[in-house]
Amino acid sequence: MNIKENGNVKNINQSQNADFAGKTSIEAPKYSCALAGAYGSALGVYGLVPLLHAGLGCGLGQLFGQFYAGGQNAGGPVGGTSTPTSGLVEEHVIFGGEEKLKKLIESSSEVMEGDAFAVISGCIPSLIGDDVEAVIREFPDTPIININAAGFNGNSYEGYELFFEAIIDQILTVQPKKKGLVNIFGIVPFQHIFWKGELNAVKKLLESIGLEVNIVFTEFEGFEKLKELPAAEYNLVLSTWNGHRAAKKLGEKFDIPSIVFPSVPVGPKQTSKFLRIVGKKLSLSKDVVEEVIKKEERSTYRLIEYSGDMLLVSRPHCYFAVVADSNTAINITNFMVNELGYLPDIIQLSDNPPEEYRESIIKALTEDLESTFSPEIIFEPDSYEARENLRNRSFLFLFASSLEAHVASEFGAPNVGVPHITVSFPSYNRVILNENYVGYDGGLTLIEDFTSHFAGPL
Amino acid sequence: MPIDEKESDQPIDLSKNTCPNREQRANGTNVYYGKASELIKDAKAGNVKCHDRKLQQTSGCVLNFYLTVRVATIRDAAIIYHGPVGCSSASLGYRELFRTIPTELGRPENFELNWITTNLQQDDVVYGASQKLKDAIFKAEKRYNPKAIFILTTCTSGVIGEDIEGAVAEVQPEVKATIVPVHCEGVRSKLVQTGYDAFWHGVLKYLVKKPEKKQKDLVNVASMLSYTWQDRLEIQRLLGKVGLRANFVPEFSTVEQLEQLSEAAVTAPLCPTYTEYVSKGLKQEYGVPYFLYPSPMGIKNTDSWLRQIGKFTGKEKEIEILIEEEHKVWVPRMNAVRDELLNFKGNGEKLEVLGALGQGRLLSQLPYFDELGLSSTAALTQDFDNLILDDLETMVGENGDFDILVNTFQAAEQGHITRTRDPDITLTCPFQGGAYKREKSVTRLHALRGDADPWSLQSGYAGAVAYGEFLIQSLKNKSFGKIMKEKTSDSYKDWWYEQPDPLYYLDKGTSK
Repeated sequence: MNIKENGNVKNINQSQNADFAGKTSIEAPKYSCALAGAYGSALGVYGLVPLLHAGLGCGLGQLFGQFYAGGQNAGGPVGGTSTPTSGLVEEHVIFGGEEKLKKLIESSSEVMEGDAFAVISGCIPSLIGDDVEAVIREFPDTPIININAAGFNGNSYEGYELFFEAIIDQILTVQPKKKGLVNIFGIVPFQHIFWKGELNAVKKLLESIGLEVNIVFTEFEGFEKLKELPAAEYNLVLSTWNGHRAAKKLGEKFDIPSIVFPSVPVGPKQTSKFLRIVGKKLSLSKDVVEEVIKKEERSTYRLIEYSGDMLLVSRPHCYFAVVADSNTAINITNFMVNELGYLPDIIQLSDNPPEEYRESIIKALTEDLESTFSPEIIFEPDSYEARENLRNRSFLFLFASSLEAHVASEFGAPNVGVPHITVSFPSYNRVILNENYVGYDGGLTLIEDFTSHFAGPL
Repeated sequence: MPIDEKESDQPIDLSKNTCPNREQRANGTNVYYGKASELIKDAKAGNVKCHDRKLQQTSGCVLNFYLTVRVATIRDAAIIYHGPVGCSSASLGYRELFRTIPTELGRPENFELNWITTNLQQDDVVYGASQKLKDAIFKAEKRYNPKAIFILTTCTSGVIGEDIEGAVAEVQPEVKATIVPVHCEGVRSKLVQTGYDAFWHGVLKYLVKKPEKKQKDLVNVASMLSYTWQDRLEIQRLLGKVGLRANFVPEFSTVEQLEQLSEAAVTAPLCPTYTEYVSKGLKQEYGVPYFLYPSPMGIKNTDSWLRQIGKFTGKEKEIEILIEEEHKVWVPRMNAVRDELLNFKGNGEKLEVLGALGQGRLLSQLPYFDELGLSSTAALTQDFDNLILDDLETMVGENGDFDILVNTFQAAEQGHITRTRDPDITLTCPFQGGAYKREKSVTRLHALRGDADPWSLQSGYAGAVAYGEFLIQSLKNKSFGKIMKEKTSDSYKDWWYEQPDPLYYLDKGTSK
């Protein structure tokens, strides 16, 4: 598709290129740094203990700025203030931090409950040139992963890729192939705020058509699950850009092909399409897949029917706006437009995807839309610009991060009263444990969530 | 001896770019375990040292979390974090922190808060980023038209040797906003409180104006983490009754409020460790008197906090009338709370409470516990330095000795001491890892900043009663801590709790 044909797409002007390359300053970008992404990923693997080779406040900063911000979640038994850190200060800048790291590994392996450790190095060791690998070599009997994740080398999404690249390089070995086993990539812990629920829902969904699924994160025996990655028949990458590098590297090393979807599927239409593609690629019985789809669609639409009167009387076919990461923006927009009859006003993507992925994101947001109206699409990591872009628009509800929670009242009339639903990072005003919008049920949950903001007595 | 007459106090040197570290300025430490009386003795003899821990846990740096979370709430200012994107992600709550407070309770309808990160990249680290910083200053000026632009430094900007003052001097003539560099790179100090001083140094050096007129009714109240909107209202109510006004800084204050600090009649503490540097600076530069002890926490402390303010504002008589009026309302209620707590166990024993406190809170909180009829034979404190030495000595003299664990959010040590001492109530500052998983009562010390419910009040007379009632509630249902202990895994192996020493991993070889 030629994106220029879509008159509404404001793709990639000079300043946006500069934003991505990190050449300019930005207000409140909706992600943290590479250390935060790697740290969140490590905490997602139950049984893996992160050791931060970093400043004293790097971990605490991410407790606030990545975990609380990711749906008001604490870090778990080895996260937050429980996470060991070398706590580098000036004397280490001068004399090096290797000795401090060595003591930290010794003590942590004595006292912390865990199956393995991940040394995640931040900016300071990178600037002072610590030889982390040499320190780790001194502990041949302790499983330790070495992740170099200096904050100035990238954002949270980059940290996720660095985490998997380190695992693939350092830990994984050839395993006997298991037919019908798939790995899931593309959902970044804490950064995609529904990560826990989404992964578990995707797993259940795929199990319903007879597959075995390795989601790694949130599984007990998580370190074992990591080691099983090479046994899969396929990688399913559920993002236009996250997890691509990880899946590619795993694929090249262990001969695992990848199937890429734009995001997790939300609502019956996306879910049925997802199951059909997976079923076909993995040569599953068409009868089994179609039977699942038929049964689930029938009961889901029967339930959606209950919302019909309320939807049609309160706010039918109005405009809506989105400020979210690409994954979330794509699945919500498609569900709202293609199943509920709403009109996409403006979609702002906050995750700063690299240039080479942007065409596929635009495609996923504009192709096969049921509406005759296409949204304006802006790649906008800057929260100030994102707010300004929402002025003088037609939308009557807003799917966004909690940073936009008060935009409507700040703008004043006539915007006051425009409902806001937090669906993406940061999410300080919405606590998310297991909630998600994946699959057939997920579509129902999404309807419940957004319509409850404006439903009322007739 | 009043603190402003102490000979040992070094003057604040505003010709310097920043303050000295707490380690040097006040012999601060991040670790100690023993009797408070021994700590006082050791501190006087100069035997208190900073130590490394072999097992260190992430706990906060000079920048994070205090400055990132609070400075970004200063109104009509812009904050620039000169660093990689992760150093400022803790600031992402900036727009929401005070937004949910109802305007009926005095929150302004419209306000703008803004921060920018220079988003340092690999290239910037190699080639320097002063142009990027200057561009960010111009961007902030153009976008937000702020009255002040704070520049907060980071480990990366520090290690690569960015010339912040040079960049500021170059662009200040072209920028209307006052630029305030704050040297708060995490690597500079092991003590979080160095960040408070670094922030106030910038405010004193660049922002506070010479007084145009003295405002005899203005009381500077430098606030701290754990005070909610209701605490402000209670303090305003009390001061308002005697015709005084509170100048709450810096959180959610305007730039003008900071500029006018020099015009106030007195600087009063909510947290002495937080307030000391600015109080001292205002006294030294503009003759604004100050006191550091006590904070308005509990009935007695509030009485003497008000009396001190009365002394400096010439309102002694009015304050005595106020105290009398307030006592009529609140003391009976306080007595009821005290009776309930004293009789809670039913065997004549007091309830034992263990609080995780800052060193500032420590001074006022323990006497308040005593007032509530609670026993606190031990306390956890984030840090300790000589700035509170005299006041600690006074407090120990009046309230008796106790065990003190100096510890900046070290979750394993806090879990250990909580488990082994097993107090009836443990008050968590929320960053103690899994220490909340226990059979007995657990509740919070700190409320959310934006919490506007009177139930969360802690300051003044109303707060003394409200927090007492809050503690009674905490004793009535322990199911959450209990079930979490039973059903979730612990962070540490069993031997950690079975050995006796919370400072097992102290690295004495590294004393500084």
